[in-house]
Amino acid sequence: METFLNILVSGILLGGIYSLVSIGLNLIFGVVRIVNFAQGEFVMLAMYATFFLSTLGIGPYYAVFVVAPLMFVFGLAVQRLVLQPLQNEPMMQIFATFGLLILLENAVLALTRGEGLSLAGPYSRVVIDLFGLKASGVRVIVFVAATAIAIALMLFLHRTMAGKAIRAVIQDRQGARLMGINVERTYLLTFALGSALAGVAGALLAPIYTLSPYIGGNFILAAFAVVVLGGLGSVPGAYIGGLAVGLMESFAGYYVDPALKQAIWFIIFVAVLIVRPSGLLGRAGAEEVGLRAEAP
Amino acid sequence: MKPPTLPYALEAPPPAFARALAAHAGLLLLSAVPLALLWSNPYWVNVLAYTYLFAALAAAWNIIGGFGGQFSLGHGVFFAFGAYAVARLHLDLGVTPLLALIPAGALAAIVALMISWPTFRLRGPFFAIATMAINEACFALANYADSLTGGPRGILIPFRAGIANLIFIERWKYALLMFCFMVIVVLIVVALRRSRLGHYLLAVRADEDAARAAGINTLAVKLKGMALSAALTGVGGGLFAMYVRVLDPPTLFALPDIGVKFALISLIGGIGTIMGPVVGALLIVPLESYLRGTLGGAIPGGHLIVLGVILVAASLFLKRGIVGGASSAWNWARRRT
Repeated sequence: METFLNILVSGILLGGIYSLVSIGLNLIFGVVRIVNFAQGEFVMLAMYATFFLSTLGIGPYYAVFVVAPLMFVFGLAVQRLVLQPLQNEPMMQIFATFGLLILLENAVLALTRGEGLSLAGPYSRVVIDLFGLKASGVRVIVFVAATAIAIALMLFLHRTMAGKAIRAVIQDRQGARLMGINVERTYLLTFALGSALAGVAGALLAPIYTLSPYIGGNFILAAFAVVVLGGLGSVPGAYIGGLAVGLMESFAGYYVDPALKQAIWFIIFVAVLIVRPSGLLGRAGAEEVGLRAEAP
Repeated sequence: MKPPTLPYALEAPPPAFARALAAHAGLLLLSAVPLALLWSNPYWVNVLAYTYLFAALAAAWNIIGGFGGQFSLGHGVFFAFGAYAVARLHLDLGVTPLLALIPAGALAAIVALMISWPTFRLRGPFFAIATMAINEACFALANYADSLTGGPRGILIPFRAGIANLIFIERWKYALLMFCFMVIVVLIVVALRRSRLGHYLLAVRADEDAARAAGINTLAVKLKGMALSAALTGVGGGLFAMYVRVLDPPTLFALPDIGVKFALISLIGGIGTIMGPVVGALLIVPLESYLRGTLGGAIPGGHLIVLGVILVAASLFLKRGIVGGASSAWNWARRRT
């Protein structure tokens, strides 16, 4: 029983990491309809920025407030310069974001010479003990942050005018335009927001992982599995989907074989695709929205 | 619902087909010129062998990715299945690789059908994600299936030179072999482009719903296109296996080097054009190996930085590739005169 509970806790905490990474990806995915293959590399960039700030004496939990705005600006630039010109060409967007992936990965590799960097400070070793269940403090912070961000994002999308505009664009791009919503500006805002969320994720994950230029690859496949599982463009879907994938990976890792975790994602992936292509919490038909070019 | 079949005489495009075949064969012969000039230089012959192989593989990807508009990032899976099939048949049963290429292609096609049946429910970017996930999952499985793939350490095929083993001492023979493979693939594509399946694939790419409304069984068309594309990719994987003779999962499933490379080469040359993949490969493969040689030592990952920039720039400014851009320039010039 104790083992089971410990696996449960580690699964939920791993799920928190996946949720945190997936929320930004799913926001971009759901609204701008861009599959940002480089999202994992955005997280990686933010981790390196956090590391750089830590060498200046700024700890990761302060660095968040610098890194997230920086990534917001970076997202604005990417959307405006690269993705906006390709708005109605999903194939070219895939090429462009994959090009960004290769570019960012290797630019960081060239700058750091591939040295593995670690940000582990004294707080990395803090262990929270709750009735005999042990949990790493930095992971608990990630889980709490993911929960807080999911709630805040839900409130933003439902209570503010900008959030309502984003939801209108999710539902019907052309209808939203007719209602006087500036669709391009909404895209710009959403992409930058998703990028800033990658920044938050990177800063909070920096104390957990050993930094490497290729670390984005660890997140991106899980994040895509989360997005497909949870539902395209759904914030609660990304949050719950993240927890589900974390739990599945954790249990499969213990009871089946750690080497097979990716195969298990794949089975989940295909099963969900066959049963419900729009994801478990997504709106039916969401997988087909926005794939056809908008009428001029 | 099938459209009524026309009498053979009306349906076949007789002389034009022979002319197209001859024209493309001529263009392909032109791409053999560098081999004829450099055949004694082992470095460039090696580069050319890769160039021809990847031209063929990109042309195979182009069947479903370009003509069919189904943006697969999972062709590395078919490539790897072909490579492992040839290696296992050769090592365990002593089958000559020349014959083993046939079951390798068949196996890749069967795997493609099994993978595609569920994933073809998805469109555009979602299909791309799913195929990428399949690539990563197969990577994990290949690392796990020690007895078949040798696990992360890989398989080594012993060097026993001879045509029966498809292993040669002289490098130019490999280059010639890859060149022949490229010619075969491109000529298959020329024939496909003019066949019923080719037209159906183009219709699916243009508008899948309209194609279905017009009575095309779009799923069957996509599956056929994918099976053909995967079979040729599997054969290419088998040739790759006998050329490098070391098969390890990190090489075979590397997205930027295999699965996405096919798409990248097609994009640079011209997606959905017949000669595009060949032109793209003649440009990209030598460029990359040149950059790897000059930049690789000084800046780790330097050649991939350039590749990433090319990829972003091409998607922004060269959407129809070199061949697509050239043909529209040609048409524009012809209209002016």
